[in-house]
Amino acid sequence: MTRLIEIEDLAVSFRTDRGEVEALSGVSLHLDEGEVLGVVGESGCGKSLTALAIMGLVPSPPGRITRGRIAFAGRDLLGLDEAAMTRIRGEQIAMIFQEPMSALNPVFTVGEQVAEVLRVHEGLGRTAARERAAQLLARVGIPDPARRLGQYPHELSGGLRQRVMIAAALACRPKLLIADEPTTALDVTIQAQILALLADLQREFGMATMLITHDLGVVAQVVTRVVVMYAGKVVEEGPVEAVFERPSHPYTAALMRSIPALAEGVSRLPAIPGTVPAPGAWPRGCRFAPRCTHAVPECGAGVPPLYPVAPGHHAACIRHAA
Amino acid sequence: MPPDAPLLAAQNLAKHYKVRGGGVLRAVDGVDLTVRAGDTHALVGESGCGKTTLGRLILRLVEPTTGSIRFRGEDLLALKPEAMRRMRRHLSVIFQDPYGSLDPRMTVAEIVGEPLRIFGQGTRAERRARVEALLAQVGLTPAHATRHPHEFSGGQRQRIGIARALALEPDLVVCDEPVSALDVSIQAQIINLLQDLQQSHGLTYLFVAHDLSVVRHIADRVSVMYLGRVVEEAPKAALFAAPRHPYTRALLAAVPQPKPGAPPPVPLAGEVPSPLNPPSGCRFRTRCPVAVARCAEDDPALRELAAGHRVACHLAEA
Ligand SMILES: Nc1ncnc2c1ncn2[C@@H]1O[C@H](COP(=O)(O)OP(=O)(O)OP(=O)(O)O)[C@@H](O)[C@H]1O
Ligand SMILES: Nc1ncnc2c1ncn2[C@@H]1O[C@H](COP(=O)(O)OP(=O)(O)OP(=O)(O)O)[C@@H](O)[C@H]1O
Ligand code: SF4
Ligand SMILES: [Mg+2]
Ligand SMILES: [Mg+2]
Repeated sequence: MTRLIEIEDLAVSFRTDRGEVEALSGVSLHLDEGEVLGVVGESGCGKSLTALAIMGLVPSPPGRITRGRIAFAGRDLLGLDEAAMTRIRGEQIAMIFQEPMSALNPVFTVGEQVAEVLRVHEGLGRTAARERAAQLLARVGIPDPARRLGQYPHELSGGLRQRVMIAAALACRPKLLIADEPTTALDVTIQAQILALLADLQREFGMATMLITHDLGVVAQVVTRVVVMYAGKVVEEGPVEAVFERPSHPYTAALMRSIPALAEGVSRLPAIPGTVPAPGAWPRGCRFAPRCTHAVPECGAGVPPLYPVAPGHHAACIRHAA
Repeated sequence: MPPDAPLLAAQNLAKHYKVRGGGVLRAVDGVDLTVRAGDTHALVGESGCGKTTLGRLILRLVEPTTGSIRFRGEDLLALKPEAMRRMRRHLSVIFQDPYGSLDPRMTVAEIVGEPLRIFGQGTRAERRARVEALLAQVGLTPAHATRHPHEFSGGQRQRIGIARALALEPDLVVCDEPVSALDVSIQAQIINLLQDLQQSHGLTYLFVAHDLSVVRHIADRVSVMYLGRVVEEAPKAALFAAPRHPYTRALLAAVPQPKPGAPPPVPLAGEVPSPLNPPSGCRFRTRCPVAVARCAEDDPALRELAAGHRVACHLAEA
């Protein structure tokens, strides 16, 4: 398989009133062509920021990439100028968000927005773009697409808006689709529709997908490989079956124990004590140590690197140090 | 009140809103709900099906278009303002959004103590002691009392909201998506806390949730709502083991299981129709995989098919 994305030691800081605060600190991950990668972790751990860094969209200022490398199909993205990055965003990498309302422009019709992408990046004329937009809306399962083209985003339900976003994202047949919590705001019934649609399109277009979510059910059902993040770092990475069967970082293991869906039959959930530390308040060494039942004094000594647990399966915990 | 009478019994409750342009929006449209003391009674269903509105009707924060509510043996809707005011202390609410539901200008002690002050409970010193006790019960310390909500994480804010909800020792607490906005690891802490408090305070919960795995963990009974109606109501175990309504089945089948290799989620086709113009007959028929001609004509009533298991579907059999 060919590497599509390779991120090495990526760090991002934000300027705040408390000084410069690191929000991502040394994230490394990769994604092969055609692969579906899941990125999971709790609020603030850096999932969206990792995606924005790939897209060249880290808000700057106040944000700043302080070190690291992002390669896309062998090309160094961080060295590209804005014009080249805009082209990559339009043609090679597309992103969809949790709340499509924020990404769609409220004053343009759905048709204008999807057609716009096609005119700019595919060079289609007005009529051709509109026709192709209608085809795309039909392809993503929007009933009566010709009528929908003339509607404004607020006239659509959350599920339909997400379908429009997907249509716009797929307009140029990107190599990589980044989906940042695409179903979190939707009902489970609509979530199942959107997940099925994404799986279908993935098969048809063969694009790689990076799916960001905090829902372990979505991860288990949709992705082939998973990256678990905690407090600005990757703490575990591996094939989805392996990570669910043998969660090897204590955080991953504790997270899985604490969700009601996997705690069947117990009267009390094994909750993780404490709270996720905020950027700037990260403990020294392993950032999970203060909440970890396995922690020993050495855990505070240095940040553990990703140790191999099995082929393709790594965990950043000193319990796996050789 | 007879010893085995339910704490709450609502009948044929409805809330219709007149909307601009002249339509009528049927937010809640003929709901029966019986909640036993000490139970956690869950309300589930898709966004917009009327869960929050039903909770607000029961709290009498909105007045129903039709229907009756008996609470603690009294006709809640017949109470005069002064009697209703006294009744209010037995009813309480916890909201989803710990960010939006706490006044940012107040300290934690003021927020938690506010219901005590409004109801003129105790002296200032007694109220202060009570606030400290409440904070301790929800896992906060006296040191937190002088701080403001923005200094707390989402989970801690939810603890503050819970302390306030318990200040007047209510019987019934309407929990409207109390853990939906929280991180997974914090969600488990708050669920455990709610269960502990239910035990120690003898609370009854009306628990609105959209996460079915949370409901499966915490509920005793479940009412499933669709488009302003209850379509199925059953003890938790029966509902999850043998759902009888096609909508309940579809809802359960749509949840992705956190086990790789488990059967994939099954989408339910279509979207919820508008509550401005619900389908004739069974409201679920436009999405129902087993609908027959009769479903478009007759509105199915809730029928008891097994002990405590009620279903509103023409095709459901005992
Ligand atoms: N514009 C910004 N200014 C300051 N800090 C920021 C900004 N954007 C993000 N951060 C910080 O970066 C960290 C990572 O944020 P990110 O949005 O990647 O989290 P996430 O994992 O996507 O969380 P969520 O699940 O809540 O979406 C956060 O803790 C946040 O404090
Ligand atoms: N004050 C109001 N005026 C008009 N319509 C209302 C009002 N309050 C609620 N509604 C409508 O009533 C219906 C039921 O809303 P409600 O908030 O009870 O749903 P819900 O089941 O709690 O949904 P969610 O899961 O999204 O919280 C919706 O269609 C909503 O738009
Ligand atoms: S009454 Fe008919 S349409 Fe309604 S749920 Fe039953 S079978 Fe489906
Ligand atoms: Mg995010
Ligand atoms: Mg609601």
